[in-house]
Amino acid sequence: MNLRTRKLLDRSFTALGFGSLVVMALALLVVIVPIAVKGIGAVFFTGTIEHRKMLSAEFHTGDPRELTSEAAASERYRANIYSMLSGFEGELDRMDPEKKAEYKNKYGQVKSSLQALLGPLPGEPAPMLTRFKYGQTRWDKAQEKLHDLLYETKWDTSNPNAMSTEYFVRRAESFKGTSLEKLFPYVEQNIEKMMLPKFTFYSGFITESSVDSHFFGGIWPEIQGTFFLAFGAMLFAFPLGVIAAIYFTEYAKPGFFNSMLRSANSTLAGVPSIVFGMFGLAFFINTLKVSDSKSVIAGSLTLAIMILPTIIRSAEEAILAVPKTYKEASLSLGSTKWNTIITVILPAALPGILTGGVISLGRAAGETAPIIFTAAVSVGSAIGLADVFNSPTPALSWNIYNLASEHEAAGELRHVQYGMVLALITVVLLLNLSAIILRARISKKLKG
Amino acid sequence: MAVEESFTNQRSTAFVISARKRAIQKVGKTFGEALLLVIASFVAIVVLFIFYFVARDAVPYFQIRGFSEFFTSTDWYPADDPPAFGALSIIYGSLMVTVGSALLAVPMGIIAAICLSDILPFSIRQYAKPVIEMLAAIPSVAYGFFALVVLAPLLQNNGGSILMWAWWIIVAPFMTLVVVVTADLFTSRIADRKSRNRFNYVLTALFGIVTIFILYFVGTALSKLQILSGTNALNVSIILSFMALPTIVSVSEDALQAVGRELREGSYALGATRAETIVNVLLPAASSGILAAVILGVMRALGETMVVWMASGNSAHIPQPWFNYLESVRTLTATIAGDMGEADQVTGSARYHVLFAMGLLLLVISFISNLISERIVVRQRKILSGN
Repeated sequence: MNLRTRKLLDRSFTALGFGSLVVMALALLVVIVPIAVKGIGAVFFTGTIEHRKMLSAEFHTGDPRELTSEAAASERYRANIYSMLSGFEGELDRMDPEKKAEYKNKYGQVKSSLQALLGPLPGEPAPMLTRFKYGQTRWDKAQEKLHDLLYETKWDTSNPNAMSTEYFVRRAESFKGTSLEKLFPYVEQNIEKMMLPKFTFYSGFITESSVDSHFFGGIWPEIQGTFFLAFGAMLFAFPLGVIAAIYFTEYAKPGFFNSMLRSANSTLAGVPSIVFGMFGLAFFINTLKVSDSKSVIAGSLTLAIMILPTIIRSAEEAILAVPKTYKEASLSLGSTKWNTIITVILPAALPGILTGGVISLGRAAGETAPIIFTAAVSVGSAIGLADVFNSPTPALSWNIYNLASEHEAAGELRHVQYGMVLALITVVLLLNLSAIILRARISKKLKG
Repeated sequence: MAVEESFTNQRSTAFVISARKRAIQKVGKTFGEALLLVIASFVAIVVLFIFYFVARDAVPYFQIRGFSEFFTSTDWYPADDPPAFGALSIIYGSLMVTVGSALLAVPMGIIAAICLSDILPFSIRQYAKPVIEMLAAIPSVAYGFFALVVLAPLLQNNGGSILMWAWWIIVAPFMTLVVVVTADLFTSRIADRKSRNRFNYVLTALFGIVTIFILYFVGTALSKLQILSGTNALNVSIILSFMALPTIVSVSEDALQAVGRELREGSYALGATRAETIVNVLLPAASSGILAAVILGVMRALGETMVVWMASGNSAHIPQPWFNYLESVRTLTATIAGDMGEADQVTGSARYHVLFAMGLLLLVISFISNLISERIVVRQRKILSGN
């Protein structure tokens, strides 16, 4: 081969290497950026007066006097809509039956989209579910609903070979000649005066419980559940893991038994997470009966088993990284082996052991599959510390799945889902970041 | 005199331990070490327990329904009457997303590992490693959410153009390289320099035109593809490859680091370029370690639950044709996670036990591949250390 081509190959190989690293960094960005951007929107957003009404009624926060004056200002513009509606209803009664049937259906659609936008209309029976008691609490959602009110969505299926495409028809067109025609431009022009959008910082998203399965309120029960599960798992796994690591590094003699234990450790590290969940169900709940059904303790034990190999491995590495001279100095001063381990080796290895612990804590917090059958429920309030032995808990990871895939209004609650994912990722990545920083400091220290 | 005596007495009590104390210490030591051993063997006990308890609930399924249906039938109607428990399409779905993610993650992971261990200067490496760790740390449910809410609609609405651009961006540089190298290979035998160069240019132009045509036609064919559902095997494979990458990169990097300096320097001394050294010397020497990395990474993809549950579409059928990654699939892990909630009510039925049979299958596969990868690593270490 020509030297020029060899050089070219060498260069392109280097480029390939850089390229693949860039792709990985991009993958990280592509995943994190949309979640971060939209997740922040769960806490910082433009809230409407409906949001303030909801806060005042459900959580008793906010200034009631200001709200009353705001509500009065908004009501002034809404009253016109209501009078237009009742005017049209009168007109509807006077129509001939054929036309009436045609308009009634369309009018029903208008009413329901108005209801979604502004909240219950006067004269309607009070809704049972909290989600229907208020209009759109977020300005971005309100604009979507406004679009639904102004335009009718239709599907173009004229081309049988392609997927049907959607197009929009102005609703004002279909009410041409009736008194309702004026409603649409009126709503479009006065929407801001009716909704009073205002920039909102909603800290309750982190600190409050949810109302009506996450339609309103926050995610505190999930955050708390995640902390309970993860710290519970650490409580079991961390001491066990560190002790096992001490045994492997200081006491174990090479041989069949030892290599078997090591194989067991790596096998445990490779078990699929869902199998841990099945084991937790079959062993902790159905056999040991640590609790009647799902409970925090069963979930914590299952998670503890899952993170045990990681803790053992990282603690082993940390202990092996302690310079031999430390140990020899201590032994030559006449201290016993155990004493050396406790007073010299462990303190020196502690930052490294903690690094592994912190990473495992993050893993326990983020893992979903092991807690599906053992600890997680989709709806629930925050539990007390005394309830961990017999009651299940909502947890961030499980509720993200549940809200995104199984909730009846998954599409409506994207902002809550993004907020939850951001909360979970923030917790896990902060833990990992602190581990990385910790490790960087250790390696600096060991270098001297 | 008396003072001296008391001094020696003191010294003897201070430095020499009495027989009773020594006995206590010895018992304590043995006891303590036994305790340590027990705690260390806890992991082994847990592994045995996992096997026992999953198998205990899996065996009744095979007693009730036998083996053949599970492995050969594709009819999966566990809730019907009479039920059908053909898991072949589900096993195939697992296989499909695993292979798909491996196809994406293995080449990229190995190249990234090479880059980390041999190409990048140390200062940049410091920043690259945390990126990989972060990629590994993101919880699987967050990946699943991303796949379902961001990637799936993107694929469904603009799938064709995404595939087309991916094809061009990834394949075009490769094809260019292939053209240059083949032209060079064809002409390198010609002794006369002038005619060689001329011939080289002609060949390059010729191959180049063919390549541009191939690129263009495949690209336009891809752009015309209609993706009916964004929650499909391709989506899941992409996300699973993100999740398998960190394992593959870090384990293969370890394997590459374990290859000593001597081999590298020997190769450079013979006049090889860096790329040639890596491909001809390093990769063969580290091949078994890299194989172990691939096995571990692939296992991560096979055992992953949340991403496939949320974004694979969960339809239990073998895609038509069999390599169609744009169709929905269903995997073992997703089936266990999704059906356990309903099957749990009927503990003792075949419907409950079949899920444990799937779990046992996963467990056995992961166990075997772990053993293999471990053996490989041990053997490589032995070879490299010169025994």
